[in-house]
Amino acid sequence: MSITTYANINAPAAPRTPIAPRPTTRSRRDDIATVRTAVRSEWIKMRSLRSTPAILGLTVAMGVLLSLILAIFVKTDPNTHEPFTVGETFIFSTWLSTVLAVIVGTLLFTSEVQHGTLATAVIAQPARWVTVAAKTTVASCFGLVMGIAGMVAGFSGAVLGGLDTGETSGMAATALWGLLLTSLAPLFGLGVGMIIRHSSAAVSIVLVWALVLENLFRGFAPPTVSRFLPFSAANGLLDIESATDTPETLAVALTRVQDAFLFAGYSVAALTIGTVLLYRRDTH
Amino acid sequence: MITVSALTKQYRDRVAVDDLTFDVAPGRVTGFVGPNGAGKSTTMRMMVGLTRPDRGDVRYHGISYTRLLRPARIVGSVLDARCMHPGRTARNHLLASGALSGIPTRRVSEVLNEVGLDRAADQRAGSFSLGMRQRLALAGALLGEPELLLLDEPSNGLDPDGIRWLRKFLADFAAQGGTVFVSSHLISELAMFAHDLVVVGGGRLIAAEPVATTLARGDTTVAVRTPQAAELARLLDHHDLAVGVGGDRLSVHGTTTAVVSRIAFDNRIQVVEITETSRSLEEILLAMTGATAAFASA
Repeated sequence: MSITTYANINAPAAPRTPIAPRPTTRSRRDDIATVRTAVRSEWIKMRSLRSTPAILGLTVAMGVLLSLILAIFVKTDPNTHEPFTVGETFIFSTWLSTVLAVIVGTLLFTSEVQHGTLATAVIAQPARWVTVAAKTTVASCFGLVMGIAGMVAGFSGAVLGGLDTGETSGMAATALWGLLLTSLAPLFGLGVGMIIRHSSAAVSIVLVWALVLENLFRGFAPPTVSRFLPFSAANGLLDIESATDTPETLAVALTRVQDAFLFAGYSVAALTIGTVLLYRRDTH
Repeated sequence: MITVSALTKQYRDRVAVDDLTFDVAPGRVTGFVGPNGAGKSTTMRMMVGLTRPDRGDVRYHGISYTRLLRPARIVGSVLDARCMHPGRTARNHLLASGALSGIPTRRVSEVLNEVGLDRAADQRAGSFSLGMRQRLALAGALLGEPELLLLDEPSNGLDPDGIRWLRKFLADFAAQGGTVFVSSHLISELAMFAHDLVVVGGGRLIAAEPVATTLARGDTTVAVRTPQAAELARLLDHHDLAVGVGGDRLSVHGTTTAVVSRIAFDNRIQVVEITETSRSLEEILLAMTGATAAFASA
């Protein structure tokens, strides 16, 4: 037992005029109006991390290096045996940029779960779809920037490597399809991240699927089935032939428009499932 | 005013929070206490919409938290001081939080000054000590100039100066009409500035009352030293008082020095020393929640 005295510092004072306005109920229109501020918040989060410029730097490095390697060491297309040109080579690193963009999208969500900042966001913005919309916007824009950076780097690397310009009439269209892909890719990753919620697991699954499983699947499944895989659609958007392509594969290949809708469909599906889970699951 | 009504949450076969009902009044500091596993954190998470209750709800001035417009301007909360990206500076952390709620950027410098982190504003949170993270978390709660504060163990990691600052800050906040709901294991600290207590154990409400009422639950004991111990003990027993005797010292339970000294004086018994003691708030709360503790020390 102990001798203790208890003294409250202050007796309750008369209620003051509230600092904040009397709370009101939010409406759907209010939620829509907050998307802009949510986007600003997500942009601040992205630009304030050192990993953001590092990822852009990696994209540029990959673009330059891949083009230089093709120009200096490989020199000719193994499928056509024709010398590589700038018009063909500039887009090759975009496939790597796409995979990197998917990972960026994944980490945009999973790192928030990992560090507890998702809880902070949900507390401040109970309309969770607003957070998803903001992340989608920022991720897509960053993917676009990655695409541009990668293509410029690929182009520069090819020029530095001494490649001929070659046929350039299709470059603009290829570039636009490539930018569409790199803009959609982070959304696919964001959806995967929202479903799996663990950085290592989500990134591993994405990499293993893109680099290993799909290739395996293409080896065993008929081309009429494998053409519907997400990263097959990505290849199709970039109009890149792979070593595993056969005349049968090319004969049933989807058009670029179809590939775009297919990849977008996968991205939207992943985002939708992720958003439903975001609402259903408790946030930690 | 915060109104918690029949709040219930069950995880598989364990009821974490069971039919919790209480009010948190404005202009007062309400302490939220209970042993580990009592459901305090789960309750606070339900109060800010992080966890969906199975039954019941929490209302702020009659509005559910998830329906509040810009809730960060009404309710400031700190549930976990670790909720920050280690690679982000304190300033950017607050800028991002503030932007989400449409809070002016000038508030960032203001709250950093208020919590004493102005010099560390551009340091990355990964280099912060626990106390600094706690201060940064509190800064985040204050960004929207809220009228209600929900804090889970806010003094964790704070040095004595920081704890004193926090105590004064919360007391002043309540004195100006704000509402403070704070969970803490530092009962002695809480007792110095809390007006009300909500006591939970095993997910259930044990008591929701002013601190003074809780303190009144504790028995007082009068310790007496007298050369006529046996005689005084007999007289006190005659007055139906519980007495413990040890040499020339007596312990008399459930009474006051006024009563014991009167009995001694009336019977011409010499009293060398007389002291009244009462149980501390911590001891009282331990007694109230002891049976419900999920993890008890040996």
